[in-house]
Amino acid sequence: MTALDARTVTIGTELLPLVKGPITREDLKRYAAASGDPNPMHTDEEFARNAGYPGVFAHGMLSMGYLGEFLVQAGGVGSIRRFRARFAKLTWPGDVVTCRGRVTAVRDEGAARLVDCDIWTENQEGERKLVGAALLALTRPEA
Amino acid sequence: MIGRLLSTGTATVAAEHIGAFSRALGDLNPRYLDPREAGGSGPCGGIVAPPTYPIAFMTQAMAGGMDTFLELGLNFMTLVHGEQEFEYLRPVRAGETLALTGRVADIYEKSGSSGTLDFVVLETEARDTEGELVFFSRNTLISRRT
Repeated sequence: MTALDARTVTIGTELLPLVKGPITREDLKRYAAASGDPNPMHTDEEFARNAGYPGVFAHGMLSMGYLGEFLVQAGGVGSIRRFRARFAKLTWPGDVVTCRGRVTAVRDEGAARLVDCDIWTENQEGERKLVGAALLALTRPEA
Repeated sequence: MIGRLLSTGTATVAAEHIGAFSRALGDLNPRYLDPREAGGSGPCGGIVAPPTYPIAFMTQAMAGGMDTFLELGLNFMTLVHGEQEFEYLRPVRAGETLALTGRVADIYEKSGSSGTLDFVVLETEARDTEGELVFFSRNTLISRRT
Protein backbone atom coordinates (compact mmCIF):
# COMPACT_ATOMS: atom_id res chain seq x y z
CA MET A 1 0.00 0.00 0.00
CA THR A 2 1.66 3.19 -1.15
CA ALA A 3 0.31 6.69 -1.49
CA LEU A 4 1.72 7.38 -4.94
CA ASP A 5 -0.12 5.52 -7.72
CA ALA A 6 2.27 4.41 -10.51
CA ARG A 7 -0.62 4.42 -13.02
CA THR A 8 -1.61 8.05 -12.54
CA VAL A 9 1.57 9.77 -11.34
CA THR A 10 2.58 12.67 -13.56
CA ILE A 11 4.57 15.90 -13.48
CA GLY A 12 3.01 18.18 -10.88
CA THR A 13 1.47 15.40 -8.77
CA GLU A 14 1.70 16.35 -5.09
CA LEU A 15 2.85 13.74 -2.60
CA LEU A 16 0.61 13.13 0.40
CA PRO A 17 1.96 15.48 3.13
CA LEU A 18 3.25 14.10 6.43
CA VAL A 19 2.92 16.22 9.59
CA LYS A 20 5.34 15.62 12.48
CA GLY A 21 5.82 17.32 15.84
CA PRO A 22 5.62 19.81 17.43
CA ILE A 23 9.25 18.98 18.16
CA THR A 24 10.14 18.77 21.85
CA ARG A 25 13.53 18.94 23.60
CA GLU A 26 12.86 15.35 24.63
CA ASP A 27 12.64 14.39 20.93
CA LEU A 28 16.09 15.94 20.39
CA LYS A 29 17.60 13.99 23.31
CA ARG A 30 16.08 10.75 22.05
CA TYR A 31 17.33 11.35 18.50
CA ALA A 32 20.82 12.31 19.75
CA ALA A 33 21.05 9.02 21.67
CA ALA A 34 19.65 6.81 18.91
CA SER A 35 21.73 8.37 16.13
CA GLY A 36 24.97 8.62 18.13
CA ASP A 37 25.27 12.36 17.45
CA PRO A 38 27.29 13.80 20.35
CA ASN A 39 26.89 17.49 19.39
CA PRO A 40 25.60 19.32 22.53
CA MET A 41 24.18 22.06 20.27
CA HIS A 42 20.96 20.02 20.13
CA THR A 43 20.65 19.02 23.79
CA ASP A 44 22.44 21.59 26.00
CA GLU A 45 20.71 25.01 26.24
CA GLU A 46 23.71 26.73 27.79
CA PHE A 47 26.09 25.36 25.14
CA ALA A 48 23.78 26.53 22.34
CA ARG A 49 23.44 30.03 23.87
CA ASN A 50 27.21 30.31 24.33
CA ALA A 51 27.57 29.50 20.64
CA GLY A 52 25.33 32.47 19.81
CA TYR A 53 22.00 30.73 19.22
CA PRO A 54 18.80 31.52 21.14
CA GLY A 55 18.76 27.89 22.34
CA VAL A 56 18.99 24.30 21.16
CA PHE A 57 17.77 23.46 17.67
CA ALA A 58 16.86 20.24 15.92
CA HIS A 59 19.35 17.99 14.14
CA GLY A 60 19.05 18.45 10.39
CA MET A 61 19.02 14.67 10.17
CA LEU A 62 15.93 14.48 12.42
CA SER A 63 13.94 16.44 9.83
CA MET A 64 15.57 14.42 7.04
CA GLY A 65 14.38 11.32 8.92
CA TYR A 66 10.84 12.73 8.73
CA LEU A 67 11.32 13.21 4.97
CA GLY A 68 12.43 9.57 4.79
CA GLU A 69 9.17 8.46 6.43
CA PHE A 70 7.29 10.71 4.00
CA LEU A 71 9.03 9.14 0.96
CA VAL A 72 8.39 5.59 2.19
CA GLN A 73 4.75 6.58 2.69
CA ALA A 74 4.73 7.69 -0.95
CA GLY A 75 6.64 4.85 -2.60
CA GLY A 76 7.00 2.01 -0.11
CA VAL A 77 9.99 0.37 1.60
CA GLY A 78 12.86 -0.08 -0.86
CA SER A 79 11.50 2.41 -3.42
CA ILE A 80 14.00 5.22 -2.73
CA ARG A 81 17.01 5.31 -5.07
CA ARG A 82 18.32 8.80 -4.34
CA PHE A 83 17.52 11.18 -1.54
CA ARG A 84 19.17 14.50 -0.77
CA ALA A 85 18.47 17.52 1.39
CA ARG A 86 20.07 20.87 2.06
CA PHE A 87 19.67 22.15 5.60
CA ALA A 88 18.66 25.65 4.56
CA LYS A 89 17.18 26.95 7.83
CA LEU A 90 17.14 25.76 11.42
CA THR A 91 14.20 23.88 12.94
CA TRP A 92 13.38 24.79 16.55
CA PRO A 93 11.65 23.10 19.49
CA GLY A 94 7.92 23.84 19.14
CA ASP A 95 8.03 23.72 15.33
CA VAL A 96 5.45 21.58 13.57
CA VAL A 97 7.22 19.98 10.61
CA THR A 98 5.20 19.31 7.45
CA CYS A 99 6.90 17.22 4.75
CA ARG A 100 5.79 18.04 1.22
CA GLY A 101 6.79 17.10 -2.30
CA ARG A 102 5.92 17.48 -5.95
CA VAL A 103 6.74 15.26 -8.93
CA THR A 104 9.12 16.86 -11.46
CA ALA A 105 9.70 14.00 -13.93
CA VAL A 106 8.42 10.48 -14.71
CA ARG A 107 10.09 7.88 -16.93
CA ASP A 108 10.17 4.11 -17.30
CA GLU A 109 13.22 1.89 -16.90
CA GLY A 110 12.69 -1.86 -17.19
CA ALA A 111 10.04 -2.92 -14.68
CA ALA A 112 10.28 0.36 -12.80
CA ARG A 113 8.49 3.67 -13.17
CA LEU A 114 11.02 6.25 -12.00
CA VAL A 115 9.64 9.34 -10.32
CA ASP A 116 11.73 12.46 -9.56
CA CYS A 117 10.38 14.71 -6.84
CA ASP A 118 11.26 18.02 -5.26
CA ILE A 119 10.81 17.63 -1.52
CA TRP A 120 10.93 19.97 1.45
CA THR A 121 9.91 20.50 5.04
CA GLU A 122 8.11 23.61 6.23
CA ASN A 123 7.11 24.84 9.67
CA GLN A 124 3.74 26.17 10.86
CA GLU A 125 4.50 29.54 9.21
CA GLY A 126 5.17 27.90 5.85
CA GLU A 127 8.90 28.62 6.12
CA ARG A 128 10.96 26.06 4.21
CA LYS A 129 13.67 24.44 6.34
CA LEU A 130 15.01 21.44 4.42
CA VAL A 131 14.99 21.58 0.65
CA GLY A 132 15.92 18.61 -1.50
CA ALA A 133 15.01 16.02 -4.07
CA ALA A 134 14.39 12.30 -4.35
CA LEU A 135 14.18 9.60 -6.99
CA LEU A 136 11.60 6.88 -6.32
CA ALA A 137 11.30 3.62 -8.25
CA LEU A 138 7.67 2.43 -8.33
CA THR A 139 6.56 -0.88 -9.78
CA ARG A 140 5.53 -0.19 -13.36
CA PRO A 141 1.85 -0.95 -13.94
CA GLU A 142 0.92 -3.73 -16.39
CA ALA A 143 0.52 -2.35 -19.90
CA MET B 1 43.83 16.05 1.11
CA ILE B 2 41.09 15.49 -1.46
CA GLY B 3 40.75 11.76 -2.00
CA ARG B 4 42.22 10.96 1.39
CA LEU B 5 40.90 7.79 2.98
CA LEU B 6 39.37 8.73 6.33
CA SER B 7 38.25 5.47 7.75
CA THR B 8 37.47 1.88 7.01
CA GLY B 9 35.58 -0.41 9.31
CA THR B 10 32.61 -2.66 9.66
CA ALA B 11 29.26 -2.16 11.33
CA THR B 12 26.86 -4.89 12.32
CA VAL B 13 23.25 -3.76 12.18
CA ALA B 14 21.21 -4.71 15.26
CA ALA B 15 17.41 -4.92 15.03
CA GLU B 16 17.21 -3.26 18.46
CA HIS B 17 19.19 -0.27 17.18
CA ILE B 18 16.96 0.05 14.10
CA GLY B 19 14.00 -0.02 16.50
CA ALA B 20 15.45 2.71 18.73
CA PHE B 21 16.30 4.87 15.71
CA SER B 22 12.82 4.47 14.19
CA ARG B 23 11.11 5.27 17.49
CA ALA B 24 13.31 8.38 17.85
CA LEU B 25 11.86 9.54 14.50
CA GLY B 26 8.35 8.66 15.67
CA ASP B 27 8.21 6.28 12.68
CA LEU B 28 6.44 3.12 13.80
CA ASN B 29 6.44 1.34 10.42
CA PRO B 30 6.16 -2.38 11.35
CA ARG B 31 8.79 -3.19 8.69
CA TYR B 32 11.35 -1.53 10.99
CA LEU B 33 10.04 -2.96 14.24
CA ASP B 34 8.19 -6.24 14.01
CA PRO B 35 9.74 -9.43 12.60
CA ARG B 36 6.27 -10.94 12.10
CA GLU B 37 5.29 -8.04 9.81
CA ALA B 38 8.63 -7.87 8.09
CA GLY B 39 8.07 -10.06 5.04
CA GLY B 40 10.22 -13.00 3.97
CA SER B 41 13.27 -13.24 1.78
CA GLY B 42 14.24 -10.95 -1.11
CA PRO B 43 16.10 -7.65 -1.09
CA CYS B 44 13.55 -5.99 1.16
CA GLY B 45 12.77 -9.03 3.36
CA GLY B 46 13.17 -9.20 7.14
CA ILE B 47 13.48 -6.16 9.39
CA VAL B 48 14.93 -3.28 7.39
CA ALA B 49 16.17 0.15 8.43
CA PRO B 50 14.56 3.51 7.61
CA PRO B 51 16.27 5.54 4.86
CA THR B 52 18.34 7.86 7.07
CA TYR B 53 19.51 5.10 9.42
CA PRO B 54 23.00 4.95 7.83
CA ILE B 55 23.82 8.27 9.56
CA ALA B 56 23.75 6.39 12.87
CA PHE B 57 26.81 4.34 12.02
CA MET B 58 28.73 6.96 10.10
CA THR B 59 29.97 8.72 13.25
CA GLN B 60 33.42 7.30 12.50
CA ALA B 61 33.55 8.82 9.03
CA MET B 62 32.21 12.12 10.36
CA ALA B 63 34.82 12.13 13.13
CA GLY B 64 37.49 11.73 10.44
CA GLY B 65 35.94 14.76 8.77
CA MET B 66 36.29 16.79 11.97
CA ASP B 67 40.01 15.90 12.07
CA THR B 68 40.30 17.10 8.47
CA PHE B 69 38.68 20.38 9.52
CA LEU B 70 41.17 20.87 12.32
CA GLU B 71 44.11 19.95 10.11
CA LEU B 72 43.05 22.44 7.44
CA GLY B 73 42.78 25.09 10.13
CA LEU B 74 39.08 25.59 9.42
CA ASN B 75 36.73 27.02 12.00
CA PHE B 76 35.42 24.11 14.04
CA MET B 77 33.14 26.28 16.22
CA THR B 78 30.88 27.28 13.35
CA LEU B 79 30.80 23.80 11.77
CA VAL B 80 27.38 22.67 10.58
CA HIS B 81 26.04 19.78 8.53
CA GLY B 82 24.99 21.63 5.39
CA GLU B 83 23.77 18.94 3.03
CA GLN B 84 23.21 15.21 3.00
CA GLU B 85 22.73 12.90 0.06
CA PHE B 86 22.10 9.15 -0.12
CA GLU B 87 22.01 6.70 -2.98
CA TYR B 88 20.50 3.30 -2.20
CA LEU B 89 20.81 -0.02 -3.94
CA ARG B 90 18.54 -1.66 -1.37
CA PRO B 91 17.48 -1.10 2.27
CA VAL B 92 19.89 -1.93 5.10
CA ARG B 93 18.83 -5.16 6.79
CA ALA B 94 18.93 -6.13 10.47
CA GLY B 95 21.64 -8.65 11.26
CA GLU B 96 23.94 -7.85 8.36
CA THR B 97 27.50 -6.59 8.58
CA LEU B 98 28.51 -3.73 6.31
CA ALA B 99 32.01 -2.67 5.32
CA LEU B 100 32.27 1.13 5.37
CA THR B 101 34.82 3.27 3.58
CA GLY B 102 34.96 7.05 4.12
CA ARG B 103 36.84 9.55 1.94
CA VAL B 104 37.34 13.29 1.61
CA ALA B 105 35.66 13.94 -1.73
CA ASP B 106 36.05 17.69 -2.04
CA ILE B 107 37.22 20.82 -0.26
CA TYR B 108 36.27 24.29 -1.47
CA GLU B 109 35.31 27.76 -0.33
CA LYS B 110 32.62 30.25 -1.29
CA SER B 111 32.34 33.92 -0.50
CA GLY B 112 28.98 35.46 0.30
CA SER B 113 27.28 38.23 2.22
CA SER B 114 28.11 36.58 5.57
CA GLY B 115 31.81 36.16 4.73
CA THR B 116 33.78 33.18 3.53
CA LEU B 117 32.40 29.67 3.94
CA ASP B 118 34.56 26.54 3.86
CA PHE B 119 33.06 23.31 2.54
CA VAL B 120 34.32 19.77 3.13
CA VAL B 121 32.53 16.94 1.34
CA LEU B 122 32.82 13.44 2.81
CA GLU B 123 31.76 10.32 0.96
CA THR B 124 31.01 6.99 2.59
CA GLU B 125 30.17 3.77 0.82
CA ALA B 126 28.79 0.61 2.43
CA ARG B 127 29.20 -2.87 0.98
CA ASP B 128 27.71 -6.13 2.19
CA THR B 129 29.65 -9.36 2.82
CA GLU B 130 29.22 -10.25 -0.87
CA GLY B 131 31.00 -7.01 -1.78
CA GLU B 132 27.82 -5.50 -3.25
CA LEU B 133 27.22 -1.78 -2.76
CA VAL B 134 24.29 -1.18 -0.38
CA PHE B 135 24.33 2.59 -0.07
CA PHE B 136 26.45 5.61 -0.78
CA SER B 137 26.41 8.75 1.34
CA ARG B 138 27.69 12.27 0.75
CA ASN B 139 27.92 14.68 3.71
CA THR B 140 28.68 18.33 3.14
CA LEU B 141 30.11 20.08 6.21
CA ILE B 142 30.26 23.87 6.23
CA SER B 143 31.99 26.35 8.49
CA ARG B 144 32.05 30.11 8.47
CA ARG B 145 35.34 31.97 8.89
CA THR B 146 35.24 34.34 11.85
